[in-house]
Amino acid sequence: MTPVATTLHLPRAGTQRRSTSEPPWVRWLLITIALLFLTLFLFVPLIAVFAQGLNKGIGFYLKTLSDPLAWSAIKLTLIAAGISVPLNCVFGVCAAWAIAKFDFRGKNILLTLIDLPFSISPVISGMIYVLVFGAQGWLGLYMNADKPWFPWLAQWLNVHDFHIIFAVPGIVLATIFVTFPFVARELIPLMQAQGRTEEEAARVLGASGWQTFWRVTLPNIKWGLIYGVVLCNARAMGEFGAVSVVSGHIRGETNTIPLHVEILYNEYNFTGAFAVASVLAFLALITLALKLWAERKNAALHAASQ
Amino acid sequence: MSVEVKNVTKKFGSFIALDNVNLKVESGELVALLGPSGSGKTTLLRTIAGLEFPDPGTAQILFYGEDVTLIPASERKAGFAFQHYALFRHMSVFENIAFGLRVRPKTTRPPEDEIRQRVNKLLQLIQLEPLAKRYPSQLSGGQRQRVALARALAVEPKVLLLDEPFGALDAKVRKELRRWLRQLHDEIHITTLFVTHDQEEALEVSDRVAILRAGKIEQIGSPEEIYDNPASPFVYDFLGNVNLFSGRVHEGSVIIGDTEFSVPETAGETETSTVAFVRPHDIRITREANGDKTFAALVVRSNAAGPVANLELARVNGGVQFTAQLSKEEFQQLQLKTGERVFVELKNVKVFNEDFSI
Amino acid sequence: MAQKLFKSKTRVLPGFRLTLGYTLLYLSLIVLIPLAAVFWKTSLLTWPQFVQVITSPQALAAYRLSFGASLLAALINSVFGLIVAWVLVRYNFFGKKFVDALVDLPFALPTAVAGITLATLYAPNGWIGQFFEPLGIKISFTRLGVLVALTFIGLPFIVRTVQPILEDFEPEIEEAAASLGANRWQVFWRIIFPTLTPALITGFALAFARALGEYGSVVFISSNIPMKTQIVPLLIMTKLEQFDYPGATALAVVMLVFSFVLLLTINVLQWWANRYNATNLS
Repeated sequence: MTPVATTLHLPRAGTQRRSTSEPPWVRWLLITIALLFLTLFLFVPLIAVFAQGLNKGIGFYLKTLSDPLAWSAIKLTLIAAGISVPLNCVFGVCAAWAIAKFDFRGKNILLTLIDLPFSISPVISGMIYVLVFGAQGWLGLYMNADKPWFPWLAQWLNVHDFHIIFAVPGIVLATIFVTFPFVARELIPLMQAQGRTEEEAARVLGASGWQTFWRVTLPNIKWGLIYGVVLCNARAMGEFGAVSVVSGHIRGETNTIPLHVEILYNEYNFTGAFAVASVLAFLALITLALKLWAERKNAALHAASQ
Repeated sequence: MSVEVKNVTKKFGSFIALDNVNLKVESGELVALLGPSGSGKTTLLRTIAGLEFPDPGTAQILFYGEDVTLIPASERKAGFAFQHYALFRHMSVFENIAFGLRVRPKTTRPPEDEIRQRVNKLLQLIQLEPLAKRYPSQLSGGQRQRVALARALAVEPKVLLLDEPFGALDAKVRKELRRWLRQLHDEIHITTLFVTHDQEEALEVSDRVAILRAGKIEQIGSPEEIYDNPASPFVYDFLGNVNLFSGRVHEGSVIIGDTEFSVPETAGETETSTVAFVRPHDIRITREANGDKTFAALVVRSNAAGPVANLELARVNGGVQFTAQLSKEEFQQLQLKTGERVFVELKNVKVFNEDFSI
Repeated sequence: MAQKLFKSKTRVLPGFRLTLGYTLLYLSLIVLIPLAAVFWKTSLLTWPQFVQVITSPQALAAYRLSFGASLLAALINSVFGLIVAWVLVRYNFFGKKFVDALVDLPFALPTAVAGITLATLYAPNGWIGQFFEPLGIKISFTRLGVLVALTFIGLPFIVRTVQPILEDFEPEIEEAAASLGANRWQVFWRIIFPTLTPALITGFALAFARALGEYGSVVFISSNIPMKTQIVPLLIMTKLEQFDYPGATALAVVMLVFSFVLLLTINVLQWWANRYNATNLS
């Protein structure tokens, strides 16, 4: 699915002309409807997360957050994001370079394939790794085969009891999958819009490939890249469905922050669940602020240029 | 010989952008590549720069005798100024100009203070010293173009290539800047090729003009040469306004209606129908008939705004319309009114043997 | 061969093979090969078995809820999203920038957080649910709750697809229509709305697709009772927990095929939306 909403667009100063605007009562009616709708679906829920989290006092709030199980969940979330974001970042830059700076056949198919993870239900995203690495999946078939290829590998996996599914590697893989397109989708249109002439100019002036990339391309896409990374990171830290499928739900071992929220909630520890959830909500607000900042910087960089 | 292009052909799919082009440019020359859009002039320039490569075959590009056909743009040492400047928008004017020096490998990179000196000298040359710290978005179009030129010159290129250097500027800035370019060239004498679709620009600025049409060089020569002796109707038409008169060739002259005009180069040809080309400023208007050297016409419209007066006329015999250009004084002396009958004399009539189509 | 060598040597910008190669490799390893596993696992079922799984009463009920609620949520968002976009682009009011930034909250807020929050708010004793309780309307733990969650997560799609089109809309066009005697309502219906239609449809399709696959927020606000409030992703999850992998993958195949069709539709729509601009590229 094309994430239209996550694409940078340059805001334009709204100009109002008297000859083409509505009577005041229509304006205020529309503004009221819009704000009422957003209040019911956005503002109240956002306030509620913090209010519910704090409703047993700050002491309980801090106690919930300092719980070792909460900490191990935070740690695992950081690991998953810390691996998936850089990997998808490198991928995004590579894909954008190939797609935006060169012409080749099948480009549209490639673009569609890169978008695929956006259009797949998180449950299915997690499930595919169970099918590949689970006991009933390809890896299971391989390890239980009578004569596996590379017998030493099968033996090593058996001996070390190495698990991917219901363990940390599965969580990382699922996170990589659901955040796969973020950086690429952000950079491709940006780099396509910028064309190739600045890079060509750098080449004519004697710059090597790397110099061209570091000194000309990267500074131009910097804010778009940050924007993509911010969104990628938000999804990596907040993913629930896909991670839930591949996690063993073992407390202190295979729980991420969202999974920890679920466990607390299902134990009727609502205040605790909201306390942890408020951390994620706070993170979401930071994400929105960073996103806005990157958007502004990008617009400023590209405004008035030629 | 500083730049030599030999047998260069370039196809994009089935479209032939360059069709076996050959071109030689002397050291220190300023050459214009002139042609309508799609004629291949930009492709030729980009091919010389190494931004495009000729189709494999016998094609060769030489810089000062050295074969650079397969050398990539980054090692060719051709300075290139892009049509829309392609300035690095995240770098100041100073850093843009310094870029080519900064990206050199450590061994050949000049020390920092030499880079500064050289950039400052170039800033002086383009008269933009006070704007060194500005960013491209804070400059006017003309200033951006000068920065692009300085950036190309900073690496001390063997050849300077300019793609439509004044294309994106308004008329006044264009004129200023092209005079400036000519002066600059007279100062630094670097071999320069520039692409343009504006004949006036090409004729005013360059030492020689190459006229391209459909991927081929139609004619190359000094501005006077090509203006006075165009090789084809296409060149004739491309270099200025033109009137067409159909007539017959007869023993060294062309007969239009009942009037005979001498065209020495047609001597020896007999009784073929032809098309005569006459520039508007080669048409003389008189009140009195001058024997069989003039024919009669009616004034359809006149416009004397500007330095010259433009007349639209129609031949009495046949009604074919054509335009004439008079000096202001002549126009005032004649005191012409719409609908009046005048007599027309043609000078410098040009006839092409083959291919009357333009 | 010489031709090929020539070609690779004569690209102005470097790195084409490296970057495209890496892109294809990474795409295959992370996305394509694991996805192939779904079709492999499903192929272990016979055709009658497959048909039986995907047309079981429980599956049919889940499709009905998933498709119905997603469609309805996307419709609600189309109407209100258009109003929100319009208000944000055309009018000035206190806190507009703040509101504009917050529209993206459903993208940034983890779905589990949205789920527990909405469930609590719309419960009979919740901040919002208490106003509906006396009217006999229950939201949380019913199908209505599913609709609320899907509306929340689909909210930004319409706003963010329509907004840029509205921003780029040239005032001259409206002025021209007004000068030709059209009243405000006619200008909207005949001039502005048709221009927005492709974006609206695209936004609708995006919100719909997102809602179909949604799991995290729904699982908390729905009571997840089979045949009643169970959505398709939850049914797949249930089958996975019972280690019924072939059953889960069969349903996944149905969802995937539908997603692909939707993805294709969106791409065609965007091509269609851009058709007026195509001729400007010369």
